[in-house]
Amino acid sequence: MQGRTEDEPSTPVSIPTALARKIEQRIKGTPFPSVSAYVTYVLTEVLSGTEEDSEGTFSKEDEERVKARLRALGYLD
Amino acid sequence: MPPTPEEMPTKAKDSGLKTLDPGINYVVSGLERSGTSLMMQMLSAGGLPLAFDDLRRPDEHNPRGYFELEGGKIITRLMHKTFPMETYRGRFLKITAFGLLYLPPGKYKIIYMQRDLDEILDSMEKMAKTTDPQREETKRSFHRLNAKVLQDLHARTDVDLLLINFNEILRNPSAQLQEICQFLQPYPCDYDNMLLVIDQRLYRQRR
Repeated sequence: MQGRTEDEPSTPVSIPTALARKIEQRIKGTPFPSVSAYVTYVLTEVLSGTEEDSEGTFSKEDEERVKARLRALGYLD
Repeated sequence: MPPTPEEMPTKAKDSGLKTLDPGINYVVSGLERSGTSLMMQMLSAGGLPLAFDDLRRPDEHNPRGYFELEGGKIITRLMHKTFPMETYRGRFLKITAFGLLYLPPGKYKIIYMQRDLDEILDSMEKMAKTTDPQREETKRSFHRLNAKVLQDLHARTDVDLLLINFNEILRNPSAQLQEICQFLQPYPCDYDNMLLVIDQRLYRQRR
């Protein structure tokens, strides 16, 4: 689990109170010590996934660019 | 004294071997300009059966030929599911990387060429007689294509995959050739004749 450590600088972020209550319920009995730790973990995962996508996923735009090069080389009609 | 290009073997060594395992499709792949033609030529010199026609003739970009079927345009047929893969079992066939995204289920042994991406793009630009104004974007797209193809191949249970690095085969051909011959077992390959094919003078896009 990846969360904020005590000596890391932090910035307060507001989330709706109802959402915070849901998270409190969800983290009961889990290793997450606080709502902040859970939110930090989830956001880290989301951002990591987004960065991976922009680095590694073969998109439709990539496909069109590749096809254009292959046509120029005579590999595609 | 090393042999001149004219002295190099350019035709298949007649090993008497007409087919490899008739239940398997053998494929040489990789991005275009990654050394797939060199690999086909090496296999030919090694006495392995290949499937290709002469629709695309040798030129200054591939002086010894392309070793392709249908001028390399079988990608379109694979995309439309009209390429008769079963017809070519037991012989090596060249299908460049993009085509592997459309490879139907079957049983495959694939030699996949890897090469420095900037060298590949240099060679593509030279061949297309153009300078790519979006070179960095193109590079990223081909990088992602390569990654996706390899990820897909690794995930398939019907593919036996061998990765060969073009740059490495020129630097240290012995080790790479041993891997290739081992990959092809129990079929014999003429190691010495394959070695003769590797001509440093054809390595023109070195970085």
